[in-house]
Amino acid sequence: MNGSSNMTLALPSKGRLREAAEAMFARAGFEIVKTGSARGYQGEIRGLNGIDVAFLSASEIAKALKDGTVDLGVTGEDLLRETIAPENPVADVVLRLGFGPADVVVAVPECWLDVAAVADLDQVAGEIYATHGHRLRVATKYLELTRRFFAGHGLTGYRIVESLGATEGAPAAGSAEIIVDITTSGSTLKANRLKVLEDGLILRSEAILAARREAMTKPVVANLRQRLELAI
Amino acid sequence: MPGKSNQQRLALDALNAAMLPVLEAAGAEFIDPDIIQPADVFLERSGEHIRSRTYLFTSPDGEELCLRPDLTVPACRYHLETAADPAQPARYCYAGKAFRHTPGETGTAPVREFDQVGLEVFGAGDTARDDAEVLALTLAALQAAGVSGYRIEIGDLGLFDALLHSIDMPERWRNRLKRQFWRPRAFRDLLRQLSAGKRKTRTAISGLLDEMEESRLDPVAFVERHLEAMDLQMIAGRTVEQVAGRLTEKLMDRSQPPLTAEQAGLIDDYLAIRCSPPEAVERLHAIEARTGAVFAGAVNLFEARIDEMMAAGLDVDGMEFAAVFGRSLEYYTGFVFQIEQDGPDGASLNIAGGGRYDTMLADIGSGAQIPAVGLAIQASRLLDVAGGGA
Repeated sequence: MNGSSNMTLALPSKGRLREAAEAMFARAGFEIVKTGSARGYQGEIRGLNGIDVAFLSASEIAKALKDGTVDLGVTGEDLLRETIAPENPVADVVLRLGFGPADVVVAVPECWLDVAAVADLDQVAGEIYATHGHRLRVATKYLELTRRFFAGHGLTGYRIVESLGATEGAPAAGSAEIIVDITTSGSTLKANRLKVLEDGLILRSEAILAARREAMTKPVVANLRQRLELAI
Repeated sequence: MPGKSNQQRLALDALNAAMLPVLEAAGAEFIDPDIIQPADVFLERSGEHIRSRTYLFTSPDGEELCLRPDLTVPACRYHLETAADPAQPARYCYAGKAFRHTPGETGTAPVREFDQVGLEVFGAGDTARDDAEVLALTLAALQAAGVSGYRIEIGDLGLFDALLHSIDMPERWRNRLKRQFWRPRAFRDLLRQLSAGKRKTRTAISGLLDEMEESRLDPVAFVERHLEAMDLQMIAGRTVEQVAGRLTEKLMDRSQPPLTAEQAGLIDDYLAIRCSPPEAVERLHAIEARTGAVFAGAVNLFEARIDEMMAAGLDVDGMEFAAVFGRSLEYYTGFVFQIEQDGPDGASLNIAGGGRYDTMLADIGSGAQIPAVGLAIQASRLLDVAGGGA
């Protein structure tokens, strides 16, 4: 993605994250201009030499940071943590950007009046296995975050059902019993009659600037960080 | 590495050719279970810690499949699907690849496949003798492969189960302790909580429990009324009775007398045992004197197993028994063992292991419980340790 010696910064190519990121870069005095064709996915930052811009979706940005196809990226912390294992991370947070807040949480049906915490799930999983012959199913797109979180709580009797959309509908639809998903106001969970476990907060996520480890110490990254920090 | 060289392949073949006759001479039929297996049985049986390392895929006709992450479950399936009467004793041995994703250190490729030689003994027999024989066969196979100088660690999950059943407490507490057995820290916290006798800190549902305590309704009616008031339907596979049942248990926990210091002490004393098996027998008898007949039965089995090992000529004094051993091995139900040796870089390598798993066959469809005990030898690792393949 990078023919010159320039570093590549990946920015979100769509949605609210893109708008908020562009607004922030503008406040920091960076003008992002697209190069190539009008619908191009490449650009540069006027006033900041040494950095090329690539426009990717937020989840592609996390993967590109992992693979090393980009050096820097603006994405959600949830996606970064899901994609890159915390032990020995190849890329990490440079700056928290203060927008795009979202919590990754464990939510269960509100009608499970007897369930307050992760410890309860352990017993409910045993009950479900005994009644239905299958494990407690967890619908989520956050496979790694879910595994790490439940491993930390010693919950083993579950099974992940990968969900790529409308995760919060899974318990009512019968494709899973509980979910791990992102929530901002909690209103989608409420509408689906789900409640967050009292110790079910997995990650307090927001938009971040992340960098490959080898890029962290570059002067141009320090410069970018400093000016973005003033624009938060 | 893109594969084995001719020399490495020959070395592995030679290892297998040395070890398999030992297992066949013990009456095992040499089988070749399918590499591609239905995913479900592994996922339901092992959960996410295996799933995250298993190669899963969908067949062209939509079936969920996987590359076998071990050969024990494939051997169980082979037995259930081919035996005229699966409850009749049968023995199988195998040599083949298992597939698990093992991330490499930074900059090195992941390890995806490894070679395994194993034996499974199905059907009721003499538990102590079968357990001892499986360990003896493991050592005989290693000897045939030219491997020596290893360490043997043994455990017995049946002892812990029996100890809990010898201590007077609600069944739900036993279940909670058993479930947390795998996690030493959480286990200690739970044990402390059950023996402290102080009310747990309030949770998000404590208010509901207060209401329930005051209510004159029976638990099911109480839950039904509450659901109605909140305009909630029961979803996600649970019934009003199950929710009411767990709430009732939580209420009962509020007035349940805690474990006594002596009861908690029994558990602590048992878990602290780590010594040679003959010495462990002495210490188990000391605990037995403070408990009931259920634990005594389990200690008898442990002792009988040690006797069988000695009768088979094994050096039991050179082994180590650890009460906590087996904590990380979820599907075993009784005797467990692990054999370790120093690798070329000095780090300890697990070269073989096994144990008793009496509930697995029933879990994957045999109906009635069929006892099972087995061994697996990490043939690929034998090539790395001193003497292997020599």
